[in-house]
Parts: sequence; C-alpha cells; structure tokens
Amino acid sequence: MSTTGQLTTPAPAPAPRAVAARGAGRPGGRFGSLRQRRALSFYVFTGPWMLGFLALTAFPLGYALWLSFTNSDGLSPNPRFIGLANYREVLTDQTTLDSLARTGLFTALTVPLTIAAGLVLAVMMNQSMRGRGVFRTLLYLPAVMPPVGAGLTFKLIFDRDSGAANGLLDLFGFNGVSWLMDPYARWVLIVLTMWGVGNIMIISLAGLQDIPKEVLEAARVDGASPWQSFTRITLPLLSPVLFFQVVTGIIAALQSFAPLFISLDASPQGMASVPQDNFLFMIHVLTEYFADGRYGYASALLWVLFAIIMLLTAIVFRLSRGVVFYSVEPEAARKRPRTLGGK
Amino acid sequence: MVLPRRAALYMVLVGLVVLFLSPFGWLLITALKDPSELRVLPIHWWPHEPSLGNFQQALSFWPYLAYARNSLMVSTLYAVLATLASAWAGYGFARLEAPGKRIVFGVLLSTMMLPQIITLVPTYLLFGKIGLLNTYMPWVLWGLCGAPYLIFLFRQFFANMPKELEEAAIVDGCGQFRIFWRIFLPQSWPVIATSLILSFSWTWGDFIAPALLLDDDRTTLAVRLAKGYFTQHGEPLSNLVAAGTVMYVVPVLVLFLIMQRGFVSGIATSGLK
Repeated sequence: MSTTGQLTTPAPAPAPRAVAARGAGRPGGRFGSLRQRRALSFYVFTGPWMLGFLALTAFPLGYALWLSFTNSDGLSPNPRFIGLANYREVLTDQTTLDSLARTGLFTALTVPLTIAAGLVLAVMMNQSMRGRGVFRTLLYLPAVMPPVGAGLTFKLIFDRDSGAANGLLDLFGFNGVSWLMDPYARWVLIVLTMWGVGNIMIISLAGLQDIPKEVLEAARVDGASPWQSFTRITLPLLSPVLFFQVVTGIIAALQSFAPLFISLDASPQGMASVPQDNFLFMIHVLTEYFADGRYGYASALLWVLFAIIMLLTAIVFRLSRGVVFYSVEPEAARKRPRTLGGK
Repeated sequence: MVLPRRAALYMVLVGLVVLFLSPFGWLLITALKDPSELRVLPIHWWPHEPSLGNFQQALSFWPYLAYARNSLMVSTLYAVLATLASAWAGYGFARLEAPGKRIVFGVLLSTMMLPQIITLVPTYLLFGKIGLLNTYMPWVLWGLCGAPYLIFLFRQFFANMPKELEEAAIVDGCGQFRIFWRIFLPQSWPVIATSLILSFSWTWGDFIAPALLLDDDRTTLAVRLAKGYFTQHGEPLSNLVAAGTVMYVVPVLVLFLIMQRGFVSGIATSGLK
C-alpha cells in the first residue's frame, strides 16, 4: 500500500498552492507569474501519467532491452552478458522465422480484409433508412465480446463432435472435420477476426458522416455516377481515417495472440496446444518466456517485434504522403468535385 | 427503381445481422442443452428439453462467483482509478499551457499506438522482483497513471468547453484544482460514463495480464473460465462451458447496450484524431 500513497501525493498538491496563490496572482500580480503557475499546473496534472509512462512503459522496455543481451533464465541470480548472441539466434532460429512469416501473412490478409469489410458495412450503414441504429448496434455487438468469451464461443461452434459447423456439414452430407486442428484452424482464426469487424465499421462510419453533404450533392448535380463520387470524393476524403486503421491494424495484427483464445486450455504456460498454422510470433515469444524460461532470448524477440512495428509504421507513414488528404477544410473540398464534373 | 434497391439493402443487412449474431445463438442453444444432446448426429439445432440447470451447475462446479468477485474487484478498482486519473491528465492537456507540452502530448499519442503486450512481460518480471505478483496492486498502479486513450477522450471533451468558464473562476480566485474538480469534472459525466464502461470492460475481458500476474485462486473469471469444465475423466463439459460463458459475457454486453450512444461515439473519436 505504500506505493499507492507515493503515487497519489501529486493529486492533492495543487489545492493548498492555489489557496496560497490567491493573494499573489490576483489583479495586482504580473502576467508572467500567472503563466508560470499555469505551466506548473500543467505538469502537476500530467505528472502522474508521465511518471506512469516512465515507470510502467519506458522502464520495462529498457529492462527487456538489457535482458536481451544476457542469457537470463529468470532463475539463476547472475545472468551473463552475451552481447548480440540472442539477436544472431533470432536470424537463424527456424521457429522464429516461420512464426514471423506466418504473422506477416496473417497481417497481410486480415488488415486489408477487415478494413474493406468495415468500409462496405459503413457505407451501407450510411444510407438513410429506418432502423439504422439497430443494425449498427447489432453488427457492432460482437466487437464488445471479451476475447475469452469469443474464443470459447468459437470453440463450441467448431467443436468436432458437438459444434454447429460440423452439424451444417452433416446436413449437406459431408463428413465433419477437426476445425481447431491444423489445416483448418487458420480459417477459424480469420473468421474470428472478421467477427469483430464492427469496430472498424464504426470508425469508418464516423468518417463518412463527417464528409460534407454539399460536396457529394454538387458532384451528383454535375453528373457524377455514384461510383465516381465514391472513388473520387468519398475515398479521398476518408483516406485519413482509413490510413489510421491501416496503421493501428498492422500494429494489432503483428502482436496478435488471438490464436490462444481458440486453443484455450490453460494459462499461457500451456501454449503448446496452439496448432502449427496459428503459431504466430507473439505465441512464440510467450512460449520462449514461460514454457522454456529463456528470458534473454524472448526479450530479444520482443525487441525485434518492436523494431519491426516501428519500421513498418514509419514506412506506412512515408508511403501515405500524397495518398492521404489531410486538408478537409470546406474550401479545398468544394473545389475538387467541380473539376471532376468538367470531365 | 428506389424501392427494390431499398428492399435489397434491407435483405443484405438482415442476412448480415443473422450471420453476426449466430455465434451468440449457438452459445445460448448449447447452454440450454442436456449433456446427452451434445454429441448426437444429426445435430439438435434446438434443445429438446431446454433447461436452465446448466447455469446452476456452472456456478457450483467450481466457485464461479468467487472468481466473478475477483474480476469485479479488479475491474472496478481499475475503472474508477483510471477514469479519475485520465480526467486529471486530460484536463492538463486540454486547458493548460507549458513549455514542452507539444512533446509530452506527442509521447501520449505515440503510446496510444505502442503495443501493450510488448511491455507486459517485462513488467511482469519487474513486478515479480518487487513482490507485486498475486496482488491487485498492478491494476492500482496502472489505474493511477491513467490510460492514454481515455486521457485523449477527456482532452477532446475538455478542449471544447467554453473559455469563459474558467476565466470567471480565475477572476473569482479559484485554483486550477478547484476549476477542474468543481467546474469541469461535473460537466463531463458522458465522458466519465464512457470511460468507466470502457475501462471496466477492458479489465473484465483481459486474459493475459491476470494469467501472468495472479495465482489460480486469486485470478479473474476470464482466466478460470478459459480452463473450462471437465469431468473427472477429463471429458469436456461443453454445456457448462456455454452456460459459464453466457454469464461471463452478459454483463459486458448489457453495459454496452445501456451506454451504446456514448460508447459508440467514444470509439469513433479514436479514428478521427
């Protein structure tokens, strides 16, 4: 409990200071002192978060970096410094390279798929019609399902003996298959990912509703077909939102450990049950940490993933220049459809 | 031409809704089945004698309510602290100026993108060293620091409030703390509600952090439920798993349905930055 006390101290601090400042800072006080007080207040208000960032994010990251240069196994008291040996192993370890390739494939498949599906749903939801709110809520509902709940539900649906999936196959005269095993498990994983697409739909829908109606109206009057106004007006104006989804989607997919939830049988220590096809990078990292106790090597894997994520994000930002329109002020937006109509 | 197009749109949407809700349907059907109906072909699409007995059994097979209480404690603790701390920090980012603010705000935005899982394992190792494993202290600490996403939500809300509000208060001699506590916080209940529900659901749904940080008897419902229900001979009891899962997810789904409006617009803001 002592730690709580330390961390809460910044909170009550400003009250007495504010009382003290009442005399000094009022009408006669100089403007500079007011500004200084505001600056101090800023750091009092944001201080707890900054402290937390340093202690609970930056420091653990640094600690993992240090571990990655050692042969730590979490048990022996004095891990030995082994330089870049762990990183050299990353480049030659077949399990690592395979899981990385698998994660790359998973990302390359699910990110475009979910964004495209989310956009299509959002466009449908953007039509004016009765019951729009109900449709939106129901399509979004799976996205609020806790991951363990979603995983267990999918295990029940795709259960070999009692699941609905094999029940359907049986209905059409096919033999049931072991959905949660190797050639099929990856498709279950992708279906599970797609089930939560409501999240992306909501963000795209908010983006669509921000597009000024006059712009689309002007295009229609000028004779643009619905498809033309979608590809030449809606998509460009929506591009910042889509870009945001690409970045967050890539980050989420690369660090995904969703396969765990359809192979649940125990704690992260029991990860051996994840089928080969679903053995993503993060599952590999958790296995190295907790099944094999190789803290040093697993930390190196984490840092490699971190570096890959940073690098990819930077590349996506670079590639987006010229494709993403950030200026959506009405004046600029109004000019574009006019030139389109001239064609 | 207009009418058939509208009708087609409705048909597609109804089809999609049925598809999206079918997993919930199967979960419920399985939860109502007698064990003898689980492994039969052709499959029973509706239980012949639907009964609520599975729910009762799921509660007593292992101490379900004790784990639910653990989940409730951790989630409430985190939700309350994180909401207060995020409002606190959000106020600073929205209404106060200081040298270095741009940089600090940049760090905040980039931590929104930072993969959480990457810091979790090293954090677990560090918490182990200072004796915080198998306690709820990690959630207290995480809560007290606020969550970047919630801070951002509060910042957006506070930044849109009229300047006259605080100017009048400053003239009256109010300090920043009182302005925050007496004027801004009471006005922000929609964001507070969204933040409470979001952070509660995150923790209620979280699997990996409690799986790492807590022992089997203090852990949350999510972790215990993931281990499932088995007979003495190791046969899985799918009907109990289904009943247990229904009871586990219903609170979160109900919270969402109650708070739907604020919730959805809150999520949507994240994409509009």
